[in-house]
Amino acid sequence: MKMALLIARKEFTEMLRDGRFRGAGAIVFTLLAGALLLGWQSHREVSAQHRSAQEATRAQWLKQGKKNPHSAAHYGVYAFKPQVPLTLVDPGTDPYTGVAVWLEAHKQNEFKYRPAQDATAVQRFGELTGATVLQLLVPLLVILLTFNAFSGERELGTLRQLYSLGVAGSELASGKALGVAAALGVWLAPAAILGSVAIVAASGQSEVVASGPRVAWMALSYLLYFGAFTGISLAVSAWAPSSRAALMILLGFWMGNGLVAPRVASDLAKSWRPSPSAFAFGQQMQTALAKGSDGHDPGARAKALEAELLRKYKVDRVELLPVNLLGVRLQDSENHGNEVFDQSYAALWENFAEQNRVHQVVAWAAPGLAMRSISMGFAGTDFAQHTHFAKAAEDYRRMIQRTMNDELTYRATSTGGPYLAGEELWNRVAPFTYTAPAAGWVAERQAPSLGVVGLWFVAGVVTAGWSARRMRVV
Amino acid sequence: MKYEWRNLSADRTPLTITLLLGLALVYGGWNGWQWVSFQRATIAAALGEERERLAAVRTEIPKVEAGERKVSAFTDPRLPQALGRGPGARYVVMPPSALGALAVGQSDLYPYYFKVTTGSKQTFLNSDEIENPVHLLAGRFDLAFVLLYLFPLVILACSYNLISAEKEGGTLALALSQPIALPVLTMGKLLPRVGLVMVLAVLLPVVLVGLGGGGGAEVRLLLWVAVTVAYGSFWFALAVAVNAWGRSSPTNAMALAGLWLLFVVVIPAVLNVGVKAAYPVPSRVELIQATRVAGDAATRQGAQLLARYLEDHPEMAPAEKGGAPDFGTVQVAVSEATERAVQPVLDRFDAQVAGQQRMVDRFRFLSPAIVAQSAFNDLAGASADRYQHFLAQADEYHRQWRGYFVPRILKKVMLSAADIDELPTFRYREEELSEVAGRLGLALVGLSLPTLLVGFLGWRWLGRYPIAGA
Repeated sequence: MKMALLIARKEFTEMLRDGRFRGAGAIVFTLLAGALLLGWQSHREVSAQHRSAQEATRAQWLKQGKKNPHSAAHYGVYAFKPQVPLTLVDPGTDPYTGVAVWLEAHKQNEFKYRPAQDATAVQRFGELTGATVLQLLVPLLVILLTFNAFSGERELGTLRQLYSLGVAGSELASGKALGVAAALGVWLAPAAILGSVAIVAASGQSEVVASGPRVAWMALSYLLYFGAFTGISLAVSAWAPSSRAALMILLGFWMGNGLVAPRVASDLAKSWRPSPSAFAFGQQMQTALAKGSDGHDPGARAKALEAELLRKYKVDRVELLPVNLLGVRLQDSENHGNEVFDQSYAALWENFAEQNRVHQVVAWAAPGLAMRSISMGFAGTDFAQHTHFAKAAEDYRRMIQRTMNDELTYRATSTGGPYLAGEELWNRVAPFTYTAPAAGWVAERQAPSLGVVGLWFVAGVVTAGWSARRMRVV
Repeated sequence: MKYEWRNLSADRTPLTITLLLGLALVYGGWNGWQWVSFQRATIAAALGEERERLAAVRTEIPKVEAGERKVSAFTDPRLPQALGRGPGARYVVMPPSALGALAVGQSDLYPYYFKVTTGSKQTFLNSDEIENPVHLLAGRFDLAFVLLYLFPLVILACSYNLISAEKEGGTLALALSQPIALPVLTMGKLLPRVGLVMVLAVLLPVVLVGLGGGGGAEVRLLLWVAVTVAYGSFWFALAVAVNAWGRSSPTNAMALAGLWLLFVVVIPAVLNVGVKAAYPVPSRVELIQATRVAGDAATRQGAQLLARYLEDHPEMAPAEKGGAPDFGTVQVAVSEATERAVQPVLDRFDAQVAGQQRMVDRFRFLSPAIVAQSAFNDLAGASADRYQHFLAQADEYHRQWRGYFVPRILKKVMLSAADIDELPTFRYREEELSEVAGRLGLALVGLSLPTLLVGFLGWRWLGRYPIAGA
């Protein structure tokens, strides 16, 4: 162990003195710091816009004036997706999902306005975010630091000298790994501190508490990921015939892992588990809504409902019912609609989940995919958390509908003129609040990806040690 | 050169790499093809639905006229306000272009069809395609991706040790002892590689477009080939220049990999951040709020708005005087007023995005990859420009549509079955080649100039290449 530390110190000093490492490290650090600062700035602006919009939509709801409850239901409210503080590290799929959904009567709407639509095509090269730097550039830095760790010593002939001194291969490997870790730490630790400060600055009090475990999970996963890259690089450096070959192999792996695999996985997922077109999805939902779940036409459904009510209240004419038939009918159609929406959206989301499982399978060969998924997950910007929000918004919509329809059913029973409700009723609808799921919820869903990164880490450590012990000395 | 060709065929590495490129091109082409087919199928389904719907309306109207079917004022197909809002609506579609299969570009982000109604624009300009956001984030493995990212790598892998390997193998001095100059030798070594890789990169798009029966797209295809060749040439020139620098093969490899990373990954990402910082686009929640506020205000003053509207358009006033204005007529005034009130907000968004685009157009010359990307998107009809072009036509059609319905709504005309065939129809007009040509000419210059510059530097450096010694 003492020997390993000694080697680590030597490696560390050497790297710090190497102009190339200093240059590359400074570039990566600058990009990371810049990305975090810009992320922080855009998070601050967007979350303020969303917060004020949420307050405005609430005020509009309350001040909509005297109306029939069903008109109010049609008027509805908007739900704006809140921006979680960790967006500043990894915006994930947020630019590609809509920012707001209209919660109106009869319909579960799609989220509208994807921020990426308001950007140029350059965006498609990939955004400069904390996540991009951590997932793409830091591993590259690791490769540059380690590709000639063993092969370089061998080519210089110093490897033989080391062995003649009685240094064990595994000691050499762990020393090299520690040296790299320390050198990386010089750049990454300040970036991590900067990132944490930005996250705390961007969070409200309750959010800081919620963000803590997420940040911890994320940081740990990234460390494992970097560890895996270090291990693989060292192993390749030990095995490759020359430094040049080691670099080629590692760059090839880096390319495949970071740039090719995400696209290949997307296209494979699309062709294996094709998702419906928006048109087909809408048509299918329309047909289901028109048919009614029991397969009868709505006329028959309404008649059956009427008969049931007459039976229930033991009267023989609709006029004698103690409840408002319109309210009952509206709620009945909501119930039917909800069944259809539940089915349609569940099927669509399951379809996406299946596509994401294809990504997970590809991730066994390209751990970058797993890391991307983990990072988005703990940042709160993956699709699972988008649907979590969408479901909360939909539940809120259904609550509004029920409140409005109940009002019609039980209060609007007099027949004289249209029934108008006022602010008292609008106030009975509590404001929309949303709590993002806890870190544990995410960890559970990210288990396969965490498994992939963990396994790659273990594999990296094992192969590095093993290759170092068995490598050619000359 | 002949010997170099023989040498190349004997060495497995370049051949394997080129083979991989070929496979990637085929796979990319296939993916693009799938996407185009998907769009075509969706458009066909939408137009089919429109045909069936209109046919149903045509048979329903006589029944309503005869009193065989009872309908409410909201669903009476004879009423223009009911028909124009839904049952009679027509689709405007932008079919994929002849070169559509070559680049997915921005086409997965923007709608390619809208269902136009008499409602305000905001109500129908939102038919986003359903897509797993993870896929939008990752982008697609299409031909353009292969050409932008992998094609340069293959070029660099084939030529990073063009001269340095000869030197390290000790054959350089030998070859140059013959009556041959280093630049000539370099060209002789370069051309077979250029030929092999370029032919491969160019062949597949030509075949793909040919299979699709790309009539009238010959010029575009030619331009595509020109952009590919110009982009490839840049990377070859870069490889020669780095070789001419006179360092060892591993150093060359490192330098070229670094340059690739700089041009293809770092500069685009930094530029993207830069334009966003210079022209920040606020969240669209602002637009939603503005639309809502304007809509509320318009609804509140509905009747007054209508009166003012009729003052402006007396020719549209209903024949008989008196009577409260019905829902349909008020709706017309309200939706037009809302649209007018929201327009400044929309313009603000558009101005910011346009500012971003202007800045990208100016700074794209920093990286040939960005120049090539926007040229590919333009040629494949997958650019934001083509979408704007479509949007303008959709807007124009929406005006036509309203021009047909609004006077009839106000005059309370009852439509007949024969009128269904008279509804305005839409036909997409493709961007004129001249509109694209200007942008592309600039792109070709933007690709060629750096190539010439780098090539020239390489040539100069070759003149003082250290033939022997470290």
